[in-house]
Amino acid sequence: MSIQFKTINELSHMLKNKDISNKELIEETFSLIDTNTHLNAFVTLNKDASLHRAAELDKNPSSLALAGIPMAQKDLFCTKDLRTTCGSNMLSSFIPPYSATVIENLENAGCISVGKTNMDEFAMGSSNETSFYGNVQNPWGDKLVPGGSSGGSAAVVAAGIVPAASGTDTGGSIRQPASLCGISGLKPTYGRISRWGMIAFASSLDQAGPMARTAEDCAMLLNEMCSHDHKDTTSLDETTPDFTKDLNLPIKGLKIGLVKEFDLSKLDNEVVKVFEESKKHYESLGAKFIDISLPNISLSVPTYYVVAPAECSSNLSRFDGVKFGKRCDDPKDLEELYIKTRSEGFGDEVKRRILIGSYVLSAGFYDAYYKKAQQVRRLIKNDFDSAFKQVDVIMSPTTRGGAFEEGSKGDDPIQMYLEDLFTIPANLAGLPALSIPNGMVDNKPIGLQLIGNFLEESKLLQVAHNFQISTDWHKKTPNRDTQS
Amino acid sequence: MDKKTVSTIAYLSRLALNEENGEKITQDLENIIKFVDQLENANTQNIEPLASPLEKTAKTRYDEVTAKNRKETFLERSPKSNDDYFLVPRVVE
Repeated sequence: MSIQFKTINELSHMLKNKDISNKELIEETFSLIDTNTHLNAFVTLNKDASLHRAAELDKNPSSLALAGIPMAQKDLFCTKDLRTTCGSNMLSSFIPPYSATVIENLENAGCISVGKTNMDEFAMGSSNETSFYGNVQNPWGDKLVPGGSSGGSAAVVAAGIVPAASGTDTGGSIRQPASLCGISGLKPTYGRISRWGMIAFASSLDQAGPMARTAEDCAMLLNEMCSHDHKDTTSLDETTPDFTKDLNLPIKGLKIGLVKEFDLSKLDNEVVKVFEESKKHYESLGAKFIDISLPNISLSVPTYYVVAPAECSSNLSRFDGVKFGKRCDDPKDLEELYIKTRSEGFGDEVKRRILIGSYVLSAGFYDAYYKKAQQVRRLIKNDFDSAFKQVDVIMSPTTRGGAFEEGSKGDDPIQMYLEDLFTIPANLAGLPALSIPNGMVDNKPIGLQLIGNFLEESKLLQVAHNFQISTDWHKKTPNRDTQS
Repeated sequence: MDKKTVSTIAYLSRLALNEENGEKITQDLENIIKFVDQLENANTQNIEPLASPLEKTAKTRYDEVTAKNRKETFLERSPKSNDDYFLVPRVVE
């Protein structure tokens, strides 16, 4: 029986019914990895340890929630004794001496980390084209990008190799690739999941989250990923609810906000059509639509491109060639060691963002850029606070369109930055948001974004699950559903 | 954004730009700064800056030893070390 395209729930049942052994499941996963090497979705595999773990589970069966479930981990999470590159040459030989809390949580719940997925370098990119380890191929078509930065994670789930992968989302890095690859992905409330052991990009925006075939699987994963962690001072001290509990509750009377300032008329007609159909579908489930105004939302992308680079320039100063990671050859003095190591270790996009960050934080410009952006960030958050007095969730397309071709955004970084137009606001405000597949345009999947109020992941997942039990978009797969 | 500014911030960032990427990156930075300049239009009078969405004071914990000393593990994984220290080029002549 093939394991390809199975959900966590389906695989768990197969294991419980002994339709397949743990070892067979992992062997099968690695043979799927072997037949999909053209995707370039993995940077490092964890085959021996995975097979060993599976054999153990066959000997001593476990009732843990994710027992035996193969999972791919974004190469941004530190994994003990398993190479962690963050998509960068800087960390091409970095073997962490510890695992990220979220990885520990998932593995303690029984999942088997089969490998580390390719990503934009230090999570800076929206197409996976900035990875030192090469582009990731979107399983939906030749030369199509999978989105980014969690491009490898999205691609392996979309290709049906594993049922689930971890991702991180600083400005859309879970939701945008989920949209472009036709899978479900959730960015939780800032602070829900410990950031300890996540290689930091922009600490006030970064948040880990699940990527899977269904919202239901995302809920199961989220149950295990969340925890209060004293090692991360921004980790929330909140009890973790059972995110699967309310999934099947009907959504009759739910109030869904539509953002007036998101000008959909600039989008492709087909994309708008898909969005309108999803609206109608939610209406048929009993939801009501309310127009809301987020007056400062149009400033989200410029705000982000001050705040994120500023935090990035500070976070990435730790890569100095001294304590871990790459070091240049034969530096003549300490200063050359720093400069040569960093110049050789970082790619151009990372350099651009470090430079922008250093610029907006420098003495003469701090108030004009960094402080100003933080003030606008509060305005944006205030806008959301008012909106959530009127509505339960906010809905928009996740992306402006389907997957685009490699190299098609040209040389202008701003064109790529605008890719995250709809996703960035939730990061600035720290709100949970998810993307689920809601249609196809030119044989390519696109996603629907739902943004929830602070800590209301359960409601978001319920709204998404209601959509998925009454539609089939999330069941489409690249092999079966693309022509040619 | 002139060449001199770019070379100053590149030095502050301990990055060297070469002939190949220097010009392109300077041009990109100029465009990005122009793009974020639209923030000027926002009225932010009397608005407190928001540094983190949580706005909570960091939680304190008891000052207890929780981790073992793993000096050897860390030194072993560094690019250059001896038994006790990370090694860098001589700083004091």
